Amino acid sequence: MRPPPFRFEILVGDAVAMTARNGIISVVLLAAIAIAAWLLHGQAGERDLAFSLLAGAAFGIVLQRGRFCFLCNFRDFVEHRDPRGLLSIIVALAAGVVLYHVVMMAWVPVPQPGRLPPNAHIGPVGPVLAVAAFVFGIGMAISGSCLSAHFYRLGEGSATSPFALAGAGIGFLLGFLTWNALFTLAIYASPAIWLPHHLGYTGTLVASLFLLAAIAVLVLRFSGQVTGPAESGYDPAKVPEKLFVKRWPPVVTGLLVAVISAFAFLRVAPLGVTAEVGSIVRTAGSSWGLLPDTLHGLDMLRGCATVVKQALLSPNGLFVLGLVLASFASALVAGQFQPRRPTGYDIGRGLTGGVLMGWGAMTALGCTVGVLLSGIHAGALSGWIFLVFCVLGTWSGLAAMRRFGREGTAHGKPAPAS
Amino acid sequence: MNFLRRAGVLVGAFFMVGAAHAAEPLVTADWLQENLENPKVRVFEVSVDTGVYERGHVPGSVHLDWHTELVDPTRRDIASREAFEKKLREAGVADDTHVVLYGDNNNWFAAWGAWVFNVYGIEASLLDGGRKLWEAKGLPLDTAVPEYAATDIALPERNDDLRARFTEVLDIAEGRKQASLVDIRSNDEYTGKVFAPEGVKELAVRAGHIPGAENVPWGSIVQEDGTFKPAEEIRAIYAAKGIDGSRPIVTYCRIGERSSHTWFALKRILGYDVKNYDGSWTEYGNAVGVPVVNVAGTVWTGK
Repeated sequence: MRPPPFRFEILVGDAVAMTARNGIISVVLLAAIAIAAWLLHGQAGERDLAFSLLAGAAFGIVLQRGRFCFLCNFRDFVEHRDPRGLLSIIVALAAGVVLYHVVMMAWVPVPQPGRLPPNAHIGPVGPVLAVAAFVFGIGMAISGSCLSAHFYRLGEGSATSPFALAGAGIGFLLGFLTWNALFTLAIYASPAIWLPHHLGYTGTLVASLFLLAAIAVLVLRFSGQVTGPAESGYDPAKVPEKLFVKRWPPVVTGLLVAVISAFAFLRVAPLGVTAEVGSIVRTAGSSWGLLPDTLHGLDMLRGCATVVKQALLSPNGLFVLGLVLASFASALVAGQFQPRRPTGYDIGRGLTGGVLMGWGAMTALGCTVGVLLSGIHAGALSGWIFLVFCVLGTWSGLAAMRRFGREGTAHGKPAPAS
Repeated sequence: MNFLRRAGVLVGAFFMVGAAHAAEPLVTADWLQENLENPKVRVFEVSVDTGVYERGHVPGSVHLDWHTELVDPTRRDIASREAFEKKLREAGVADDTHVVLYGDNNNWFAAWGAWVFNVYGIEASLLDGGRKLWEAKGLPLDTAVPEYAATDIALPERNDDLRARFTEVLDIAEGRKQASLVDIRSNDEYTGKVFAPEGVKELAVRAGHIPGAENVPWGSIVQEDGTFKPAEEIRAIYAAKGIDGSRPIVTYCRIGERSSHTWFALKRILGYDVKNYDGSWTEYGNAVGVPVVNVAGTVWTGK
């Protein structure tokens, strides 16, 4: 049975009990995350793990509450002329660029040739990146979400996401298998282009903000009117609903994503959600003898680095775990945890889209979070290239899905007006 | 009691600053904290994990990149005099500066740094316990990159008395020269059971050790918290292996960085005549036609 959505106006009978129960589960879950982080923080050398767990939880809550999903935001705009989601992405990119520069300008005061800010996702730019981003975009369109959104949708009980993530694992395996060929074909000659080397910090900031502003103007120019109750004044009684049930405003969501991104970069590593999945697949693939012994150059490149796992807990693993659990807690309170039995269609589109996304994310060294978001924030050209080709891929994928008449239903609903 | 200890630290600090050139080999975290504002003290971090320095370092410390600034990035060699001199000038190191080094990974690469500084005529101190102990004590970290007024320090040519090259090591191995060889790698590497520790990229295609080398793993002279054991204990550990400073010593490991740590203990703490062989096993174990002792008999099969 699907639990009734949380409504303040029907606080009677079963709904009250359900709401109270969900609230308690959420609080317990978040407390467990906090305690785990506290315990980890006390261990020598485990501070990064504690931070990653908490950052992941914060990211999960923001993604869930802000419905920060690259694909659905794009689709809301293309198909319903609703610009809010895209605006939250644009705000996240713009604010993140500024915050990242605060950090990078302290770490690398002069962007000298040969020096890059440590760990920043400045990936190789070349034809392979473009193809991988395009394929990733198609995979997003088919599966109904990008990879980060599949993780938070796991917390909403999505019927497609488990299969999309399983498919992504297979895609990663295929990516590792094609890696050596692609590396010797083109990636070896693809330079990691960091814009501050060419434009300086000021130039990079100005160019990035100008481009994002131009995109925002275009989006607003073509957007339709979003209907909903007009908001004026401040009603304290409505605060809980705004916070726990309604979708957060796009600007707030975007700013929070940017803040988490910059703080994660400052403390541990740039945001990314695929490193752990890739590492698990690589470790398993290597131990089963499925993968080549050497993946040329892979460990020298920047992005969502996959490694053969040596330790059970890794910062990225805990980041993703925190993301899923906190999203679940958040979805429960909002009445948005709505599991249902997967249909054959859910399984098919999840697996197909997942494989494409997995291959794309492995080959591009990250996904919409690791390459697009963390890359553009860091002034990496690879982030912008991923943006362009991923959008093209998504567009083509959505067009194809419409043509074949099976536009996604599970995640295809336009966002409720807030 | 506490007051006395603080006073002691201050008095000690005064003497150490006064004696900049004959710097004590080791400084404690407490001493360093008291001297962070001291303009005559310049701290360098040599950490190999990326982003460690940037995300928080001892306030005022300068980053030294092991892969580019302490070695020559093109040929396999230590940093050239010109490049190293330039770096030190930018970091504001003058003739009377007391250089203190620390780093991650048990100070291995910081010890390499101390060896390179010494080759270029500067006796640097190590922060005993390194970055790990500094963090464990909850001492402050900073993310700001400091800027210092440049100096015009001129470095001397390399002091080859501190560095063993391949031919010299071969002379020792084949008995033409009398010296003690200290292999500081793990016992499994020394006996030839394994070619290298798990996961490392630099390899030799033969296992075992240089004939005549004694095996004293680097960790045997370090305490639980990462600090060096007291000098007398270190002296006894080596004496038990017949290494008492009565003849020259050469330390080696796989790539020469952990052996810098032992070089530091033998040379700087005990005052023996010691050279570090930075070619180490990745040079010797790959050389053609040289004698090797391989107790385990492991055969290289390219796997």
